[in-house]
Amino acid sequence: MKYENRQPEEGINVSKGSPVKAFLQLVISTALLLAVSVFFLYLSGAWLAKKIPFRYEEAIMEKIDVDFGSQETDQDIREYLNELSARIAVHLPNPDEVSYTVHYEPEDVFNAYATIGGNIVFYKGLIKQLPNENALAMVMAHEMAHVSHRDPVAGLGGGVASAVALSTVFGSSGSQYASTFINGAGGLTAVQFTRKMENNADDAAILAVSKLYGHTVGADSLFRHIDEKREQSSKPDWLARFSSTHPLDSDRVENIKAKTLELELPTTGETTPLPGLW
Amino acid sequence: MSNVLVFLALLLCGWFFGRRAEKRHYKSIIERELEFNALPAIASRIPPADAAYDQQLVAGSTVVSSDYFKSITAAMINIFGGEVKPFEALIDRARRESILRMKAEAKAVGADMVFNIKMETSQIAAGRTGAIEVLAYGTALIPRNTVKFSNTNAAMSV
Repeated sequence: MKYENRQPEEGINVSKGSPVKAFLQLVISTALLLAVSVFFLYLSGAWLAKKIPFRYEEAIMEKIDVDFGSQETDQDIREYLNELSARIAVHLPNPDEVSYTVHYEPEDVFNAYATIGGNIVFYKGLIKQLPNENALAMVMAHEMAHVSHRDPVAGLGGGVASAVALSTVFGSSGSQYASTFINGAGGLTAVQFTRKMENNADDAAILAVSKLYGHTVGADSLFRHIDEKREQSSKPDWLARFSSTHPLDSDRVENIKAKTLELELPTTGETTPLPGLW
Repeated sequence: MSNVLVFLALLLCGWFFGRRAEKRHYKSIIERELEFNALPAIASRIPPADAAYDQQLVAGSTVVSSDYFKSITAAMINIFGGEVKPFEALIDRARRESILRMKAEAKAVGADMVFNIKMETSQIAAGRTGAIEVLAYGTALIPRNTVKFSNTNAAMSV
């Protein structure tokens, strides 16, 4: 008997086709799958979280004892801010249980935010930039509207639901950098919701400010101010719109203007000066 | 942003170096296969009865690791299912390389052919590097009175 090894043709055990093309097809499919999953998970997580009674939010915040700045100093500023929030609250659509606590952080940070338990934090860096009380009331009404719409707890619920589910499905399928891609794709879907929340909060805020002062003068001055001061971004507008958690400042000014026209809110009147406590 | 750049850089490196290594390796495999076809490796368990042979175990082992590009592509295929094509060439190379190494060992001990060849794979550092070992082994048939000593295996002298 004759034994021999013949040289077989190449490519029998290896499939043909471009690996780069296959890779790109997979990336697109994975991104679509992520977007659809996060869309439904975020929606259901947020919907469920809004069912949690507001008193539970307060109880959780009490338990974890978050430090929102010193309670000893700047007593007069905190009193003023809480008094302003009380004046605004009567003009916001307030669900029964919701209450607001405004905190003041004497740091040079340009920010204000609302978190669970009705806690709203204002930084000195932001207040210093405001030209009048109307602008401050607009920002405060915006943050209070987030609380009244239950946005902080909805964001938390939606975020946790999508993060847990995504890490269960995709957690073991890649290394650290692949997770970055997955989280990025999921995050981009999630910010589409937060921008909607921001727009709804702006709508509620402009109405409340108009009711409080009898007009909307000065309400949009913060966003005008930021938009003018902002350095030219390297991102094109369409990309910034898609990837940002907040609407563009220029879009917010336009939205406020459109809402003012739609509801025929008064656009003339005197602005109220700030008390000059800072 | 820096994470995204590192991710893209690793992908590009994986694709470029992986592709280059694959091309070079296949070229070398085909050249050596043509050379070693004169020393057949046969799966049959029954050796030829027409001559007297001494027998000796010979083995060839290769450890291969995936590159970043292949690993990420395979991870995405893992979600949807289907053929894991990026690994096919990797396994094909490892299998053929192992047979070539086994034949090289057989040649070194003066064998005419290798019978009863078998192959085994085992995963190494599972989940971390994605490396596997492919082991080919068989019985080298050495024409009687020509037993030599290989580098790795001591053959019995008759």
